[in-house]
Formats: sequence, C-alpha cells, structure tokens
Amino acid sequence: MDINLSSDDLAFRDEVRSFFDENKIKSGEDYFSWRLGWFEKAREKGGWDVPKWPEKFGGPGWTPTQHYIWEQETAQANIPFDLPFGLGMLAPILMNYGNEEQQERFLPDIRDRKVNWCQGYSEPGAGSDLANLKTKAVLSEDGTYYTVNGSKIWTTLAHVADWIFCLTRTDDSGIKQQGITFLLFPMKQEGIEVKPIITLGGSHTVNTVHFTDVKVPVENMIGEEGKGWTYAKGLLEHERTGLAGLSKSLVELEQLKDNARSIQRGNGNLMDDSSYKSKVGELEIDLLATEFTELRSLASAAAGGEPGPESSILKLKGTEIKQRIQKLTVEASGIYSSAWGDKGAGPSFAKGGTAGYLNSRYFTIYGGASEVQKDIVAKKVLGLTKGSSK
Amino acid sequence: MNFELSEEQKMIQQSVERFVQENYDLPNRIKISSEDPGFSKDYWSSMAELGWLGLAFSEEEGGFGGNQIDTLVLMEQFGKGLVLEPFLANIVLGGGALKRSPATHLKEELIPGLIDGSLQITLAYAEEQSRFDLNDVATSAREEGNEFIINGKKSMVLNAESANKLIVVARTSGGQTEEKGISLFIVDSSADGVVRENFPTVDGLRASEVSFENVKVSKEDMVSEKDEGFEILQAIANDAILALAAEAVGAMEVLYKDTVEYTQQREQFDHALSDFQVLQHRMVDMFMEYEQCKSLLFRATMETVQDPKMAQRTIHALKHLIGKSGIFVGENAVQLHGGMGVTEELRIGHFFKRLLVIDSQFGNADFHLDKFTSL
Repeated sequence: MDINLSSDDLAFRDEVRSFFDENKIKSGEDYFSWRLGWFEKAREKGGWDVPKWPEKFGGPGWTPTQHYIWEQETAQANIPFDLPFGLGMLAPILMNYGNEEQQERFLPDIRDRKVNWCQGYSEPGAGSDLANLKTKAVLSEDGTYYTVNGSKIWTTLAHVADWIFCLTRTDDSGIKQQGITFLLFPMKQEGIEVKPIITLGGSHTVNTVHFTDVKVPVENMIGEEGKGWTYAKGLLEHERTGLAGLSKSLVELEQLKDNARSIQRGNGNLMDDSSYKSKVGELEIDLLATEFTELRSLASAAAGGEPGPESSILKLKGTEIKQRIQKLTVEASGIYSSAWGDKGAGPSFAKGGTAGYLNSRYFTIYGGASEVQKDIVAKKVLGLTKGSSK
Repeated sequence: MNFELSEEQKMIQQSVERFVQENYDLPNRIKISSEDPGFSKDYWSSMAELGWLGLAFSEEEGGFGGNQIDTLVLMEQFGKGLVLEPFLANIVLGGGALKRSPATHLKEELIPGLIDGSLQITLAYAEEQSRFDLNDVATSAREEGNEFIINGKKSMVLNAESANKLIVVARTSGGQTEEKGISLFIVDSSADGVVRENFPTVDGLRASEVSFENVKVSKEDMVSEKDEGFEILQAIANDAILALAAEAVGAMEVLYKDTVEYTQQREQFDHALSDFQVLQHRMVDMFMEYEQCKSLLFRATMETVQDPKMAQRTIHALKHLIGKSGIFVGENAVQLHGGMGVTEELRIGHFFKRLLVIDSQFGNADFHLDKFTSL
C-alpha cells in the first residue's frame, strides 16, 4: 500500500491538466462547436473522448488510478458537458451483447456525440422494482418487427432524445425477470408521446413517455429475445457507481466552505458557528472515507472485472453526501433560502440553492432507492435472506 | 392541567377544518398561488366574516379576547391545507405589533381594519446582514423636528406586495446590534421613497425586498416607545414562532398520514410498500416526531399564555424541534413516495416546501439550539 502517485501517474496528471488548459473555451467561441472540437482533440490523445470504453473499442485503457485522476481533474476543470445515456449506459451493452452490425451502426454516432439517447427502464407501476415492467412488445407474424405499447416514467431528457433504449416485455409466463427484451428505436416517430414532469425544484428534466403501436424492426433488438434483464442488470451496477459523483462533491464541499465564510457572523463568519461547522466537518469526514471506498472498489473492479456489491455502498453514501451539501447550502442562505427564482437580496449562492436541494431528494430514489440498495447489501454482502438464521 | 379546547375553540377548529377541505385541494391552491396577489381576497373576506381575524384581539380592540391558543387552533388547521391567506403577516405580525403598542390612537385607527379584513399591515424587520438576529438593525430613523427620516433596506418582508402599511423596525439610537435604540414605525407602503421588489417564495407565498429612501414619518407614527421597540419585536417573534409551529404541526400530520396511506396502496416486489419493516419503522419515526412537536407546541403555547417571560426557553426549544423534525418528516415523506414525491404533482412536495421555509423564518434549528443552550 502506498498513497503516493507514481511518477508516471504524476506525469499523466500533468498531461491531463495541460490538455484541459490548452483546450479551454475562448471568449466569444461558439459553445457547441467548441464542444465537438474538444472531443475530437481528446480522441486524438488516444481515446480520451471515451475514457471508460475498453481499448478494443477505442478507449484509452487506463489504470484505476488514471481513471481516478481523470475524475478529479474533470470535476475541477471547465470541460464540455456530456450525457451518460449513450456513452456510459448503452455503449457497454452494445459492446457486450450487441452483434457486430449493431456495434458498427450505433457506437460511432455515440462516440461522436451525434445522437442523444434516453433510457426507457422505469415504469409508472414499478418504481425501484424495475423488473416489474408491463410495456409490451409483440412480434409480428412474419417475424420482422415488434409492436410496442405501454408507458415509461422518469425518462431523463426524453424530450430532447433522438433514440431510446428500452426494456419491453415479450413474455409474461415466467418469473418477472424473464421475458424482458431490449429494444432500440427512434424517439421522433408516430405513436410516441412525451409529457414533462416538473420536479420540486421547478425544472423539467424527466418525462413520462407513452408508446402506442410503435413498430420496431427485429434488427433493433439487442442479444436474444427475453434476456434483456440480464443485459440491463450488469449495467445498473455501473450506473450505481457513477451516481456517487464524489469528485464533484469534493469540489462542491470547498465551494460550500467558501460560501459559508462569506456569511459574516459577529466578528467572524458562518464557519465559526459551532453547529454549522460540525455539520460541515462530519460531511467532510464521510467524504474522505467514501472517496477511498470508491478507490478500493475501482481497484477490485480492475482486478476482477465487474464492480461488485460495494458499488451499492457508494451509491448510498455518495448520494447522501450530495444531499447534505445541498442542505448545508440552504442553511447558509439563511432567510434568503425561501426566495424563489433570482430576485431579492442575499448571497448569490442562495439563488437556486433551495431548488437544488429539493431536486437532490431524488438522488436517494433514482437508480434504485436507498432502501433497495440496503436490501442488496444485506443479501449479497451480509448473506441475510429470509430463513438464513440457524 | 387541561389539554381540552373550549367549546368555542372546538367549533372554530371544525369550521376551519371544513374551510380547508372545501377550498384547499392542491389544484386550487396552485391556481390561487400563481395569480396575483398570491391569495384569495374572497377567502380573506370570509375569514374576516367568520371572525377568525379578530380571535386573538382583546374585546376593547374589537376582537374576541382570545390568545395564542386560539391562534394555534387556526394555524394548525391552516397548515393542513397550506392556506395562502396572509394571516401570519397581518394578524400575528402586524396585529401583534399594534396590540402591544402604547400608541392608543394607532390601535384605534388600525386594528378594526385588520379585524374586518379591509386593511393589510405587515412587519419589515429582517435585513441582509442580520440573518436571524432580531437586534441587528442597520435601517435608521433620524429625528428631525417633528419627523423621523427612515433610510435602509428590509428583506424577505412577507406579503408586502399587498400590504397597505408596513411596520418598520428601525434604529433611532445605539450601535447596529444593540437592543436598545430600536423603534417601530408605521409607514404607508405607497409613501414617497418606499420601493418594493416582489417575488414568490419557495412555498408559493409572496415576499418582498423593501427599500426606504428618506421616507418621512411623523412622531405620531411611532408604534413603540422611542428606542424601546425590541421587547415588542421579540414578543411578536415569539408569537410568530408559535403560529408557524402550529402550522408546521398541521403540515406534518398531513405528511405522515399521506405516507401511511400511500405505502398501503403502492405495491413493489409483490408486496404493499407498507409490508416492509424498514418502511414501517420510518413511518413510526415520522409519527413520533409529529407527536413530539405537538407536545412541545402545547407546552410553549400554554407557558406563553401563563407567563411569556418564562416561556422564552421553551419557545427556542420548539423552533429548534420544528425545524429539525419538520424537515425529517418532509424528506422521508418524499423518500417513501419515491419519484412521485419529488414532483409538483402530489401535495407531499408542497407541504415539504412549506416546512423548509418555516425552518428559515424567525431563526432556524441551529440558531434556536444555540439560544436554548445559552439561556
């Protein structure tokens, strides 16, 4: 065990930093053309545009430490936005279970950020019981296409998506994890209706999506009919690790402290307030520990392949940390935490702070609610199932 | 000791409960909240006609001679519907100042209008630097002959948008955080030099930033004795805390009951959510927090009616617990409702927002814990 970065890792960190520095957006530059150019240059670095992809598909083949360094540096640098749906969620499934033709058809556009994907998993009646899905896909008599009917909910950015990867039910005769089929189809077509859901923070990110007789050619099915659950499940573990967002939290924690220091109290500031200071301290201690839980998890994943059940710990801790940062921002805002929108006096971080806190309540619900994550840890790690006591 | 409400109070309780049930379903609340002035003038008139606005004023003032217990009865029911009408701003804050004023001419002139609903008077006390400290007042009132000239800015003034008059907390002498030297003035909201910037709050109510530039008032417009307004301000704040706590208790009751009901209907993993022990225990915790808040609310209110000085420490305890438990109950109601809890579509989220705002008003949980442990 050694906490120091090797000279190679230090050199890598410097290289990442100078890359970010050299490719910053220039004043007056168009954001979207800068963004595409940025990914182009990252690609020339040897797969830096797709850091998490395996080498076989053009990824950089980094060590866990390099991934960690990248995470840390991206959290602090001003780099273009990216969406996880195509790149981080669908792509691994295509790589593992898609046929060659599908890989050639979809992966390049995902890599070039040309197509926006959304994820059609959750359904109104299912919640965290994801496998309990009812959206039906019926194969045509000639076996060339499926007809999809049903509804999805919490579909993030469905209103701007070009395509959806969607879990559908093709057979309900067995247990609910069986008979699920993984389909890809375009969003902009007849029979698809997207309705916004406004969250407590007042924003429109998620939607309900209704399918009425949507035709999907069989060549858009991934893997085998009825096995979609297996494909999606492995991905969920990936998703849950990604949801921890620790590097970002570290940056936000520093911002939180700066914000609190800007609030004058008597001769000092809010960071001198004993209650407030304790809460920030406890938060930071949790973050220090969780950061290393993530590193341990990454290291074991690198040694053994798939991330294991410890990814559930990360989602639990990571989302709770994010919520606590938001809550402490609200508390620092004092009387201004109740102002809605950007009017009124008060510190600039108070604007939108409460909306951020309200929306953050979602963190312990999506991607499997915390209660479900704890069930997974209880079962898989502690071996606690009904009747397990002797 | 007796926790029973009087017959009159029970009747009021039932009539407010009915009013809330008939008028405050979620779609109607959202509609009222989104249209100016952010509450229903018709409802406000009905409240006046039903005598609710006059409950806590003395009979000499034209009221019904009630006290903080009557306000508790009203506010708890208001909390169950997230009522938007400015009872807190006008009756508890504005009325609370006038009730305690030594200026008989102001009381005679203004209180009847408050009681019949024709006049709206709110309190402008907080400032940008003051956070939760009532004694931190930079707004100045400079004496010039028979007049005072007010200069400064007041923050998060509740319902200032629809107020005819503002009671302004200003400094007539002393340093910025001295209790002595604070005075209360009544100012026409349309007076020269008064500028209001109005905006909605997180909970769908309204507040304003109000600035005062060389606003002239006469000596007759002084609501407190000169330099001696702090005690009145503290007493109003205590009343406001009791009222907000009662509202919060009403809101918490809705949240825990809605959650119990929802988890019995919603099925996951082939069971009703309520079958899961971890969720059962969470709901027991929510219920316990609600009951504890109610107990401390009764304690603080009954002590206040007995002897306001003796009640100060319990009031700090109450506001701490209400802030902490309100957010606990709110966060867990949302969590147990899953994704739907985080949307505008269920009433859960709206109650949670109100509890969040209540914690930020008149001192949050940390502030009152500090006060409580220092007394």
